Amino acid sequence: MAGFPPPGATILGDDAAEKKIDEVGKKKVDYFNLPCPIPFEELQREAIMSLKPELFEGMRFDFTKGLNPKFSLSHSVFMGPMELPSQGAETLKIPTAHYEFGANFIDPKLMLIGRVLTDGRLTARVKCDLTDDLSLKANAQLSNEPNMSHGMINFDYKGKDYRTQLQLGDGSLFGASYIQSITPHLSLGGEVFWAGQHLKSGVGYAARYENDKMVKLACAMHVPFASLLWVATGQVASTGMIAMSYVQKVSEKVSLATDFMYNYLSRDVTASVGYDYILRQARLRGKLDSNGCASAFLEERLNMGLNFVLSAEIDHKKSDYKFGFGLTVG
Amino acid sequence: MASRISLKPSSGNNKGANGAAERSTVQVLKEWSAWSLEKSKVIAHYGFIPLIIVIGMNSEPKPQLYQLLSPI
Repeated sequence: MAGFPPPGATILGDDAAEKKIDEVGKKKVDYFNLPCPIPFEELQREAIMSLKPELFEGMRFDFTKGLNPKFSLSHSVFMGPMELPSQGAETLKIPTAHYEFGANFIDPKLMLIGRVLTDGRLTARVKCDLTDDLSLKANAQLSNEPNMSHGMINFDYKGKDYRTQLQLGDGSLFGASYIQSITPHLSLGGEVFWAGQHLKSGVGYAARYENDKMVKLACAMHVPFASLLWVATGQVASTGMIAMSYVQKVSEKVSLATDFMYNYLSRDVTASVGYDYILRQARLRGKLDSNGCASAFLEERLNMGLNFVLSAEIDHKKSDYKFGFGLTVG
Repeated sequence: MASRISLKPSSGNNKGANGAAERSTVQVLKEWSAWSLEKSKVIAHYGFIPLIIVIGMNSEPKPQLYQLLSPI
């Protein structure tokens, strides 16, 4: 019996493990203490992060220089074809090159991000926490051409287990959204918007379910576990769009995502399946679409602060092939 | 003054039914808001990035001026 642990300790160990499994299985839901849901506009953020990376075509070079932990300047050069919206089946591309200068100031309470291009277009984003629960966000795209400037301002209020947002934009755009936690895993929300200039108004509903299931496999001394995280979301809007997405985290490094969009007014369907590998030195995202489009995006860390980026998008239906490479410093 | 003259014809025709005094207050308000929106757009366009730079250069720890331009 010398090698074995004393029987008393083992029984206690088993008991404790059983109690833990019981706790997880039958945790009493405290409906007055639900967690705060994620903002309405970020409902599908896991799916968007995995399935919609910033694909580009051409060469991209980004250099970010930090002067301060809060303040940094960025210089970005891009050379490549830009797509023009065309009526026919042909895609029109014209080669362009531009340099973009940007300044960021990031504070826990105030965030200011500004980017200006060589043709004078300014992109500005402001996020300010007015109080603990109320925050203001504004973003604007200003250009020298008349009638090409847009701006939008949002007021977000965070309650105990709900969030509301009020949105005001130029061209008399008005929107409001509300999302509420129903259970610790499920949250439901709705939004209403009115666009005066385009004479469009609409109502939308959304639901989000996320699960963080802990599967405990008890064996002798250790209790290893694998956590499965999956998120399912659904969104309906009166513009005729229904969007559903499902993301499953298969392991720490891999997650799979799928997305389904159906427009019942124009009978348009798009489904896509993608993967997201988050490795130590690289991040690889790939996607396959029902429109005959396959894309991949690789970010590889060559050195501290030096990232190499490769982007590829092959559209078999339109015979449009886009490949891009770039370097990000800092 | 130029902006005022250009905006008058369009709003003047619509408010023909109101009294003369009422018409001018609403008109003045509309013109003022359009003028201020335009001016604030120009100010934001030229002043936003300098504003970020000024706020950043005055935050702690204070960076040096040469760091703005040097690539190190």
